[in-house]
Amino acid sequence: MVMVWALSGLELKAQPPVPSSAPTAPSALKVLHLTFQAAETGFDPAKVSDYYSAVVISGIFDPLLTYDYLARPAHLIPNVSEALPTISADGKTYTLKIKQGIVFGQDPAFAGRARPLRAQDYLYSIKRFVDPKNRSPYAFLFLGKIVGLDALVSKAQKTGQFDYDAAVEGLQAPDPFTLSIKLTETDFNFSHVLAFPLVGAVAREVIERYGADSSAHPVGTGPYRLRQYLRSSKISLEKNPLFRTLRWEALPSTDIPDEAIRKSMQGKLLPAIDRIEISIMDEAQSRWLAFLRAETDMEYQLEELAPKFLTPTGELKSPFREQGIQLDRSVDPEISYLFFNTAETIGNQPNPIGGFTLPKIALRRAIAMAYDVQDQIAVIRKGQSVRAFYPIPPGVAGHQSQYRSSLSYNPALANALLDHFGYRRGADGYRSHPDGSALILEYASTPVERDRQFDELMKRSMDRIGLRLSIRKQRFSELLKLSSQCRLMMKQAAWIADYPDGDNFMQLLYGPHTGQSNAACYRSASFDRLYEQSRRLPDGAQRDLLYLQMTRQMEADTAWLLTDSRYRNVLLQPYVVGFKKHPVLTNEWIHMDIDRTRMKKAPAS
Amino acid sequence: MLSYVLRRILQFIPTVIGIMLLVFFLFNWVGGDPAYLLAGKISNPEQIENIRRQLGVDQPYYVQWGIFVRQVFTGDMGVSWATGEKVSYLVWSRLGPSLTILVPMLVLSTGIALGLGLLVAYFRGLATDRWIMVACTVGQSISILVYIIVLQYVFSYELAWFPVQGWAQEGGLLLIPFCILPVMVGVVVSLAPDTRLYRAFFMDEIQRDYVRTARAKGLTEWRVMGVHVMRNVFIPVLTHVMIQLPGLLAGSFLIERFFSIPGIGREVLLAVERSDFPVIKAVTLYVAVATILVNLLTDILYRWIDPRVQLK
Amino acid sequence: MRQSERVAVFAVLAPQGLWSLAWSRLCRDTLGLIALGVVVMYLAVVLAAAAGWIAKDWSHEAGVNYAPPNGWIFSASPSEDRLPVARESIQVTPVAGVVDPLAPVIETLRESRLALAQEPQRLATLPLGADKWGRDVALKTLKGTQTSFIVGLLAAFLSVLLGSLLGAYAGYFGGIVDDVLNWIYSTFTAIPYLLLVLAIAAVLNQKGISTVILILGLTGWTGVFRLMRAEYMKHRNREYVLAAESIGASHARRMFYHILPNVSHVLLVQLSLNVVSFMKSEVILSFLGFGVGVDTVSWGSMLNEAQTELLLGKWWQLASATLAMALLVTAFSVFTDALRDALDPKLK
Repeated sequence: MVMVWALSGLELKAQPPVPSSAPTAPSALKVLHLTFQAAETGFDPAKVSDYYSAVVISGIFDPLLTYDYLARPAHLIPNVSEALPTISADGKTYTLKIKQGIVFGQDPAFAGRARPLRAQDYLYSIKRFVDPKNRSPYAFLFLGKIVGLDALVSKAQKTGQFDYDAAVEGLQAPDPFTLSIKLTETDFNFSHVLAFPLVGAVAREVIERYGADSSAHPVGTGPYRLRQYLRSSKISLEKNPLFRTLRWEALPSTDIPDEAIRKSMQGKLLPAIDRIEISIMDEAQSRWLAFLRAETDMEYQLEELAPKFLTPTGELKSPFREQGIQLDRSVDPEISYLFFNTAETIGNQPNPIGGFTLPKIALRRAIAMAYDVQDQIAVIRKGQSVRAFYPIPPGVAGHQSQYRSSLSYNPALANALLDHFGYRRGADGYRSHPDGSALILEYASTPVERDRQFDELMKRSMDRIGLRLSIRKQRFSELLKLSSQCRLMMKQAAWIADYPDGDNFMQLLYGPHTGQSNAACYRSASFDRLYEQSRRLPDGAQRDLLYLQMTRQMEADTAWLLTDSRYRNVLLQPYVVGFKKHPVLTNEWIHMDIDRTRMKKAPAS
Repeated sequence: MLSYVLRRILQFIPTVIGIMLLVFFLFNWVGGDPAYLLAGKISNPEQIENIRRQLGVDQPYYVQWGIFVRQVFTGDMGVSWATGEKVSYLVWSRLGPSLTILVPMLVLSTGIALGLGLLVAYFRGLATDRWIMVACTVGQSISILVYIIVLQYVFSYELAWFPVQGWAQEGGLLLIPFCILPVMVGVVVSLAPDTRLYRAFFMDEIQRDYVRTARAKGLTEWRVMGVHVMRNVFIPVLTHVMIQLPGLLAGSFLIERFFSIPGIGREVLLAVERSDFPVIKAVTLYVAVATILVNLLTDILYRWIDPRVQLK
Repeated sequence: MRQSERVAVFAVLAPQGLWSLAWSRLCRDTLGLIALGVVVMYLAVVLAAAAGWIAKDWSHEAGVNYAPPNGWIFSASPSEDRLPVARESIQVTPVAGVVDPLAPVIETLRESRLALAQEPQRLATLPLGADKWGRDVALKTLKGTQTSFIVGLLAAFLSVLLGSLLGAYAGYFGGIVDDVLNWIYSTFTAIPYLLLVLAIAAVLNQKGISTVILILGLTGWTGVFRLMRAEYMKHRNREYVLAAESIGASHARRMFYHILPNVSHVLLVQLSLNVVSFMKSEVILSFLGFGVGVDTVSWGSMLNEAQTELLLGKWWQLASATLAMALLVTAFSVFTDALRDALDPKLK
């Protein structure tokens, strides 16, 4: 009740920046309330890397391509381009045509004129990713990949000024609505980069007008625009009045839930929801209570509270079902894994678990066999994850759902293996190196309550096979630094798909990526050779076979223990319709609606 | 008086230098390197170098110190590394929400605690005094974490009296529903220690001669306590409240986090998680300077109210 | 000469009188005595736990996950939320063209028919319930009491030591020493507590009990400093000190042999005040991630674990830790009050 009163007042006071944009009375607005569990950093696509900023950005900006909403696995479709790109036979040239008549949202930078979207805008936006000044975390999407671009970057590093007007051979616009991208190497999967939510078009005028403050002034061609913004607290988006005409369309489906979505959405003018109100809520208790009181319409960041609303088999508990609350359950395109540093040394100290001699591999194998993944799933994840065996998660091209790893939980065998290789137990029950010197494993994690649970599990698991564990606590930023310098011995890590292609995961184990994304510092000649072959292939059976061999090779060397992939349990109030979690799209707002007729049934508290 | 104020302001300078040294040492020297965090999921050494250069963390320490000193004197503390927001604006915009919770909380808890303090001082030595003090001690012994978790659960969810969390950007009356519970939690937590402290203030005053004189004049005990003693207790109470204020700005982070109040404490925690040093440095410095100023102000006020107070 | 010597000797002896007087006053304070009893009881628990007589195997997983309390003190119905844990029997996917160097060894080891160690029987209920791994909350509470009490006590000792040492120097010598120490004092007090804690934690860069003690000790000395400085300023020109000087007592002797006993009652009160506040601060430090290590348990670590457990209906860990903490902190505070009243009867 209180909330309703507060909100209606809020809408009366708010001044719409453009008077013509609000023909509907404030009370008739459809508002979707949601939460982020961590603060966003900003809305300049070239400056952010966090998930929550990307969620908002993908509501405001349009990438060239996007994914079909209902198709699984993720299926590329055109967004502002007229069709999917034409790819040359050698997989090096991508050509696209942009739809005409699309304009940017209003902004003082355009001096009151409609600003049409042109191919140049995309070229400019791509260049911004590699401009050293923007220090974009996603520069890797383009660095080293586009003909002539890297030369411009090194020039910018010397002069301190990126020359946006200089011609780049690989980034050309033969006419205002045609885009031609030339790659340095064969890559049949580059289309995914063009569908990446952050690779939307920004207008140069806007970026230059706001300079360092571009993060707070996102202006795009997408369905929403920023209405109010209180950093790390509240983000409010509203319908972009200049958004192109777009209707919800999908082919009839045999899938019953999809059919329900189709029925409620078919033919609707998009976006159907007028406003998105996002609050940042750090604590799970606050998020849960807020959803129960219908202060929020959608909530999925409740992993630790899952037993409260889910049965052990993953269905919504009956009190919630009776209230009409809906559950959308899917597995995130993400893997969690425990990595072992396979380098011989850490800094200038010998690495007790590094190297590829048999006793060292056996030690890593024993750790992998003793770590209790089942307990991780049942106790820490509260049952809200599935066991992962393959480095490519579900929903991503290359995933093998039937695959079973050769690393299985077996502490007894792990003990026997350690005995066999001469890791003898001392009087205190802890093992030493075969040469008798002390053996201490070092496991790194951050000082938060969640990681403490992993620490406890790791300690229990290692105690079981007599390995002494010391836990190194560091801030997240410090761990990132140490891990890219190969100075961590063991750590839990997770990787969520940037784009739904297996390469995004397999590259994590590629030798030359040591110091970048290969935290295990894993260098295996046979793995690297297979990986290089796979880079030249499009998605298909041939590449899948290579991925299979690479995975087994990684297991044989024991660089990782794959643990699990988390479920995403999205709770929706009864009146939210059209939602189905997409594996790659960061938000589904444009495909959703609020059904007022079901609003009455919403629980008051 | 004037010479006293001048002397105090002069003393202010070395303290500020001390704080600057400490802040600089803690964050630039041992604070760690945020470049890898900012570089994202996949980065190469050149990108890391580029970030370090742009943040200025690759400079020798004396150069960084120079930059820091210039920042302090120009009042321009730079921009947040994580979001690019101007730090001075950031602190300024988070001050409002923090004060919106803190001021009512301080006023309420001081008012109630003064009343209770007076009551127990009146009944000093009797059972009422004893039991209120024991209740306060018990109340004080429970962790603030438990208070927040339980009160939020009971009042927002079970009883549904208030929204669980939130904030109205427009401010004004709209804020009231969001404020009540956090303010209440704050009052509950600070009531017990305040009551104990104020009781001690009252007990201190009661020993004084003027109280005896007032009683001898035949004034009722209530009048002695409520007017004469209260007037004198007011000074230490005011001092206590004012000195608390700057520390509470950054110290109420637990309340701000659980109730999603966009205040300073929450921002500091966020900045720490992100290794966002410009923000941490600025908040530390601002709050420290505010503390010194408040101390100075309190001393002057003290002297102004009661000229007998010796100021050294 | 003889006269002043007598004064000095008297001054040294005088505290004895103060202490016995205080003790007799304390004995008249029933509530204070009860509180003292409770504190002593806790102390016994702490010593027993430290010696390993009780709660030694607190990390043993005696019960099932989240086993509810069995009704002795609390009672709760067992939850039906538990997931059946099925150990997967894995048929490894065969992959051609990759050689596992350990395969032969593992095959021979497997053939020797290793039996998976029998999982020990776990209890369905425990006196105070179990945590998520099935560890006994009662034992955790006892062990946590030991940790938190020791943390509070040692940190309080550290802060009082630091504060009184610096305060004594500042107050006794005055002048430039006072100025410098006062400068450090005002710098430390000006920085907000939370930031000081985070900063010191960043510098120490190690986690565990010793870090918690250091953080608390290094941030908590300022109050003691202020009081001790004032006391020493008051005492340094007292007759007995001047007398001690005239018989040739060194500065150090005057400071710590002559003056210290006369101000030690202030220290004692400060010590117990700090113990109480540090035990509470440990909880907040745990929330911030600077708690004790994974191989031990404290009230702070328990309360942090229990935060989400409460919403899941597993309230026993929160209740146990809160109760244990509330009882000790209350008792300690009441005792501190009684102690102050006994030592400083003016206030009565």
